[in-house]
Amino acid sequence: METLHNLAFGFEHALAWQNLMFCAIGCTVGTLVGLLPGLGPLATISLLLPLTYSLPLDGSLIMLAGIYYGAQYGDSVSAITMKMPHASSIVACIDGYAMTLKGQTGLALFTAGFSSFIGGTVALFVLAVLAPALGDAALMFGPAEYTTLVMLGFFCVSFVTTGNLLNGLAMCLIGVLLGQVGTDVNSGLARFTFGLHSLDDGIGLVSIALGCFGIAEITKNLDNREHRSPFTGAIKLMPSWSEFKRIIPSALRGSVAGSVLGLMPGGGPVIAQFAAYAIDKKFSKYRDEIGTGILEGVAGQAAADEAAARTSFIPLMSIGIPENPVMALMMAAFIIKGIQPGPNMIPEHPDLFWGLVASMWVGNCFLLFLNVPLVRYWLSVFKIPYRVLFPAILFFCCIGTFSVNNNLNDIYITAFFGVLGYTFMRLQLDPSPLMLGFILGPMLEENLRRALLLSHGDFSVFVTRPISGVFVGIVALLIVWQLVKFATKQSRSHA
Amino acid sequence: MLNNRDLLRGVCLIGIALVFGVPALQYPIGDLARAGPGMFPLFVSSLLLLVGIATVIRSRFVERSPMTFSVKNVGLILGSLVAFAVLSRLVNMTLGIIALVFCAAAAAPPYSVIRNLQIAAVLIAIAYAFQRLFGLELNLY
Repeated sequence: METLHNLAFGFEHALAWQNLMFCAIGCTVGTLVGLLPGLGPLATISLLLPLTYSLPLDGSLIMLAGIYYGAQYGDSVSAITMKMPHASSIVACIDGYAMTLKGQTGLALFTAGFSSFIGGTVALFVLAVLAPALGDAALMFGPAEYTTLVMLGFFCVSFVTTGNLLNGLAMCLIGVLLGQVGTDVNSGLARFTFGLHSLDDGIGLVSIALGCFGIAEITKNLDNREHRSPFTGAIKLMPSWSEFKRIIPSALRGSVAGSVLGLMPGGGPVIAQFAAYAIDKKFSKYRDEIGTGILEGVAGQAAADEAAARTSFIPLMSIGIPENPVMALMMAAFIIKGIQPGPNMIPEHPDLFWGLVASMWVGNCFLLFLNVPLVRYWLSVFKIPYRVLFPAILFFCCIGTFSVNNNLNDIYITAFFGVLGYTFMRLQLDPSPLMLGFILGPMLEENLRRALLLSHGDFSVFVTRPISGVFVGIVALLIVWQLVKFATKQSRSHA
Repeated sequence: MLNNRDLLRGVCLIGIALVFGVPALQYPIGDLARAGPGMFPLFVSSLLLLVGIATVIRSRFVERSPMTFSVKNVGLILGSLVAFAVLSRLVNMTLGIIALVFCAAAAAPPYSVIRNLQIAAVLIAIAYAFQRLFGLELNLY
């Protein structure tokens, strides 16, 4: 009952015309930028982050959330029509693109939009019930728990996003080291500034994000461009009633899977899509046809994608630990706005929290009733050739970097991270865990130092405290699993 | 070494670990109960060093694959960003945008002066709109 009351309170905020407008702008701009080739949610959010600086607090967070799910929808549209996935909609490429090849682009886009709506609605209730409860539980967390939870997050994210523990971990560690640049809060010593005074306050988040995900991504796309889609522009959106009925069970299965996986450390949309797709392959009535371009293959993963995107806000807002790179960027945006996500956020800013939760559902409605019917116009973005687009994206990267501090020197730092990010990508290192390391690094150091101070330098505190001990146990299991997998692969290839 | 991406990856990781690890040695380390500013970075860069070494070792067991790296595209993109920043400081941002477009466009042939001028004109108009609507401090003139 209290939850419903809180939700009503939230809708009051979200439906204020100003917030409604920010939500609509966020969704629309997010979709448009997300559609652009080579720009996934991470790049889209970092590109558009500067737009929110001058907005009021709740408006800016609502707009950012809108940008996030708009970008996700845009991403799945480009996956379905062009088979151009970013990290976030790999699964939509399989059946979605197969449907495009069959000339059913419109149906696939409607299915994705409508399933996202179902996923978002289910996740809304999970979010409203679970986030406050988890926030209460998180009050029991001390420095030791935070330290081990962050480490668990690193391991899970490394594993999920890159599929290779070593590569992902390397990126997390580099991110942590980059987070060390600047003045140490405890001693006042300037660390790793390499004699540059502009680094005294640390490296700007926007420079890293735009460099590694904006500039590096478009440089990579320049190497292999000219991708022609069989998509003709002809589009029939509305499904028949029998098709419509087929969407729902699949979307519901996906919503549940997505809601659960969105909560896990390292979880989030990507892993949820794969899980939902696998579930559909096992339990769907049409399981034998999945992969050939049928509705179920699109519906389940789209619902899971959306649901996980929503529930992944839960650990961020209730514990204060982002569990995937996109949430790390969101956390940074919260902090820029003076809000520290964590157990105290919901009690201290109930209007902000419930307003944001309600606005997510409003955003879902926008996506369904605005973007789905208008998608044929959005798709004209694809008609712009890449050689026109990419100077424009570069320009937006420059403006975005510059307007953080009105400092032209920041552009050099962005350029440096562009080259670094491109090098990482060419070395087959996915830079997205770097973002998580960068945001969580300072928090990890602070908590590790504090935990060791309290235990007088005794490391056993991380194992003897029960919650922390469980986290350490999971990390150990993951490491052992990876070693066993590597060893068996070796022995098999030698046999 | 350029024809062995996995080895190169390990070497790069070791390099980055040293860039951070060596200076960290010069900061006060402290002890475990009272960690100094050098302790944590030293710890993290040592871990990264281990990951780098493990990557080098693993590269001996997997099949070699070459690494592609387009120096030309990277150079042009880098050049266009630097040109934008330098010219925006010395002259104004309008010239910076024109330089950015003309330099970057070379990475995507065929090169067309007229198209570049059109792109630059649109971007300058967008910058002007940003300046007016969002209050960004862009020195366009």
